[in-house]
Amino acid sequence: MENFYSVCFSFVCFACICLRMKADKKMLKSWVRQQNRANRSATLLLALVGMFNVLAGMVLVWNLAIILAEVLAGGQKVGMSHLFLFILASVARIILGYVQELLAAASGEKARKRLRRELLARFFAQGPALLRHQHSASLAAMLTDRVEALEGYFARWLPASSLWVVAQWSVVLVVFWQDHRAGFILGGCCLVLPVFQAVFGIATAIASRRQILALNRLQVRFLDRIRGIATIVLSGNAEKDAQGLGQAADELRRRTMKVLRVAFLTSASTDIAMIVALVWIVIDQRHGLLHAGSVHQMAGILFAVLMVPEAFAPFRALSAAYQDRAQITNSGEAIQKLPALPESMNQVVSGQAVPEHTRHGIALDVRGVSYRWVNDHPLALDDVSFHLEAGDVAVLTGPSGAGKSTLIEMLLGFIRPSQGEILLGGADLQTLHPSDVTRQISWIGQKPVIFAGTLRDNIMFAAPEASEDQLRDALEASSVRDYLPLLPDGLDTRLGEGGFGLSGGQAQRVAIARAFLKNAPLLIMDEPTAHLDPATERDILVSLRRLLKGRTALISTHSSQFHTIGETKRLIIERGKVTVQETLS
Amino acid sequence: MTQLRSLWNVWKGRWVRLFVGLILTELSVCSVFLLMGQTGSRLGLIAVGGAAAFGLLRFAGGLRVILRYFERLVTHDATFHVLADIRLWFYRQLAGGAAAGLGFRRSGDMLSRLVADVQSLDSLYLRILVPLAAALLSLPIVILICLRGSFLLALCIGLLFCLTAFVLPALMARLSYRWGPELQRTQADMNSQALDLVGGMRELRIFGQEDVATERFLAAEEAFYRMQRRRDRAMAHVHALALLLTRLGVVCALCGCAGLVFPKEQAVMGITVLFVVMTALDNIVDLPRAGLLCGQVLHAAERVAEATAMPQGTPDEGTLPAPAGHEIEVRNVTFGWTEDRPVLKNVSLRLREGERTALIGPSGAGKSSLAALLLKVMSPGQGSITLGGENIADVRTEMVREKVAWLSQASHLFDDTIRSNLLLGRDDISDDAMWAALEQAQIADFVRSLPDGLDSWIGENGSHISGGQGRRIALARVLLSKAPVLILDEPGTGLDAETERAFLSTLNGLDRSRSILLITHRLTGVEQLDHLWTIQDGSLTSRSL
Repeated sequence: MENFYSVCFSFVCFACICLRMKADKKMLKSWVRQQNRANRSATLLLALVGMFNVLAGMVLVWNLAIILAEVLAGGQKVGMSHLFLFILASVARIILGYVQELLAAASGEKARKRLRRELLARFFAQGPALLRHQHSASLAAMLTDRVEALEGYFARWLPASSLWVVAQWSVVLVVFWQDHRAGFILGGCCLVLPVFQAVFGIATAIASRRQILALNRLQVRFLDRIRGIATIVLSGNAEKDAQGLGQAADELRRRTMKVLRVAFLTSASTDIAMIVALVWIVIDQRHGLLHAGSVHQMAGILFAVLMVPEAFAPFRALSAAYQDRAQITNSGEAIQKLPALPESMNQVVSGQAVPEHTRHGIALDVRGVSYRWVNDHPLALDDVSFHLEAGDVAVLTGPSGAGKSTLIEMLLGFIRPSQGEILLGGADLQTLHPSDVTRQISWIGQKPVIFAGTLRDNIMFAAPEASEDQLRDALEASSVRDYLPLLPDGLDTRLGEGGFGLSGGQAQRVAIARAFLKNAPLLIMDEPTAHLDPATERDILVSLRRLLKGRTALISTHSSQFHTIGETKRLIIERGKVTVQETLS
Repeated sequence: MTQLRSLWNVWKGRWVRLFVGLILTELSVCSVFLLMGQTGSRLGLIAVGGAAAFGLLRFAGGLRVILRYFERLVTHDATFHVLADIRLWFYRQLAGGAAAGLGFRRSGDMLSRLVADVQSLDSLYLRILVPLAAALLSLPIVILICLRGSFLLALCIGLLFCLTAFVLPALMARLSYRWGPELQRTQADMNSQALDLVGGMRELRIFGQEDVATERFLAAEEAFYRMQRRRDRAMAHVHALALLLTRLGVVCALCGCAGLVFPKEQAVMGITVLFVVMTALDNIVDLPRAGLLCGQVLHAAERVAEATAMPQGTPDEGTLPAPAGHEIEVRNVTFGWTEDRPVLKNVSLRLREGERTALIGPSGAGKSSLAALLLKVMSPGQGSITLGGENIADVRTEMVREKVAWLSQASHLFDDTIRSNLLLGRDDISDDAMWAALEQAQIADFVRSLPDGLDSWIGENGSHISGGQGRRIALARVLLSKAPVLILDEPGTGLDAETERAFLSTLNGLDRSRSILLITHRLTGVEQLDHLWTIQDGSLTSRSL
């Protein structure tokens, strides 16, 4: 009996997984459809130009057929008008092809830009809390590489897939109109195409998808190995690992070739269909050609033969763009994995309340606040309450994972409490416009992000309208000035990616200079000295003490040195609850 | 071109396959000529009332299908062989030269770009060499057939063919080679702006600069697209030009048929020539695009060749076997990554067997350089380092690394199972030994709690497990190596204070047969040390405990 239940249970589990996968797939499909719709006008325009190209091809081939018929009929004079029309149609085709190529590039660019802006909007709606779910490098890759990979999908696949049936069958129809028998043969061969695709295609499509996956995995493994190559070399295993890599590549090749042997039959079937159509029409038309009464009749037969490659061209274009199609699934899956927007973030705020602050700082009142990051997980913050007067300096300690960072992100307005309220200068944070909240707050984290740009840019961005005097004061107070002579170009030294690297202490001083410039009444710090050596920490504390003057501050830290900074309040948070809260004199 | 030569050396072993692929491609092209020529001549023959046999036409059709199938199969098989070869070659080159040093410079991005470069080398054979060789070989055939029409026609067609198949692609290759760096620079700029935008989201929100940063990112995007547009436009121009040239060829052949401009040919011959010319020119119209690819491949080859070249200052291999003891002595060592700026100045230090020692100092003081010297990644400019009494410059490099193991924040966790991460390709280690190492690193309980145990997948750079757990698995890997000397280079970076303390206290439990050198910028207080060194401005001071 128990066995039966366990079987039932596992079946239900399996069904749930299947349903969930199906739901994921459905979401992906609707996302892809939405992308296609957004790009529809460009796709249709491209297909239209493509259709004109096909029509020009018909004119071209028709005139070619007439010229050939005249030559074969033994006439001494060939109609110059047909030669002229042939050249004209050729030129038209070249121009149309040129326009098509430029339009495709423009459409690909437009689609990528649109998608990128969509992603940006989504990122900013989520805000910095997004960085908790995903690594910044993978988010940045989504904005750049993932979007770039879709160029071919929008520029080539979409137009080709919307054009090929119409283009192919309009060619067949025109041939049929000229010569019924040839039209039937061509139509038959075109009809066989999807059948061939189905016979060889379905089996190989599944297998080849698996192969593409395997190839991707090999690629990822190779990249991973190369990134960690120092670790392997320093552990003395490089040669053994190289052999493993070689074996994996060889195994992949053998498996892939097994699939390709069948997969190439699919493309061979396209060749067969075209060649059969060609040979068949030639042989079938021999009597018609021999007894052709007029040049026009002969031209009709020649036209049918010459149109055969044209009938298969759209399908070839489609096959050539097939690999572009796979990209949309890859990118779509990555984008679907972005966490959904929490509902509370969508609330519209009136923005009427104004927080009050004094020259000592601003009051902060946290009342019964709770928060949960993931639905099934325990509360990250559980009924947290405390109060800071204007000018209070509170040191917040507690083991990691206790909820310190969650509390800080909430005070910064990145996330909103699921219960309780936070009053900043007497005004509820919920009713304030996000920009009004951030105007009151400065923040110093563990490691400040140094942007690509000069040192001046990196400090001034905290207050772009600040004067040179204010900048000088901030440099002085934060002690950035002390290391300016060490930098190659002083304040104009380029930092960040590809620029000069600052040490941990130097970077933290930049963060302090930013806070000085911004001059906000509430200062929040998240382990500002966690990555510094004790000597540097002592130096930084001197600057921080200057910064604290006239501000309310909440400092999360593990370092005991902060107890000398002039703290007036001590908070300890454990498992999401405030366990100790004492006011010091 | 010199860069392509080093690639050619990799390919040499596969030349039979590659050559057979080319031959089949050529035969397949010939079969098309036969098919289309037959189609033309049969049509002509019937129309003028001659007797026509269709055997050859049918044969040509069948031949075409079969040859095309095998051509694809063989060229793809050859490509896959070459693909594996290039990767292995690149891996071995990197492992033999620059790799060890990469552990001391953070260069993940550069490596990813290099891997993309290696990937773009794949297209050299299938998408550049094969079509180019096919064009080269079909040129004389086309000219021979045209000669049966008239000399003038053969001359014109030959000229147009050469322009389209060789001159335009060469121009395109030069153009894309010239634009390559600029295109890549603008793309890299966009990527770094994206990283700033996303990584700096907290700063941007707090200082109200989201809009400004977004604008900057979009400006970088626009700059990149401007370059791309320039390239696309050039490509469209060249492609239109190629089409124009090939159409001109068709018009020439048609005029030859009709007796305009060119001497009049016999009707059937004229049509045969026309069909062959049309097919041949259609086949080469995409070659200018291959030229574009060629420019990109050249750049990729350049960068790969540059990366795999041996860097300066790499120590010699050495010949001596591993010494019996493992006491390390550093005597009066002076060293700098560049000539003019010594990081270590006249440094002396001793690490006795089984001793626990820490080396502390601010970042940039030369701590990691010392680790690089001990692991024989670099050789000291002056002074000597001995291991068990032997100068490590004389001991074989792999023997040094068998004795001295390294663990740092840069120790990579592979996107693989825990087992593979512990083994790193070795196959002589039992499960019991692995569990013992995990036990020592105090992570065995966690691994046991995972549903798949040792075979659990840990994700890209250990993303499925926490930072502290990852560092412990890396420690277990180092312990498994049986190396009697452990160098731990800032093992606490990236861990929060509590996890760091817990990790460091695991080290206290290790058995005393191993000596440990802990390199760090600060002590947490849980370390149990026999000796302490401090380093400041490249000079070492001993501090007894």
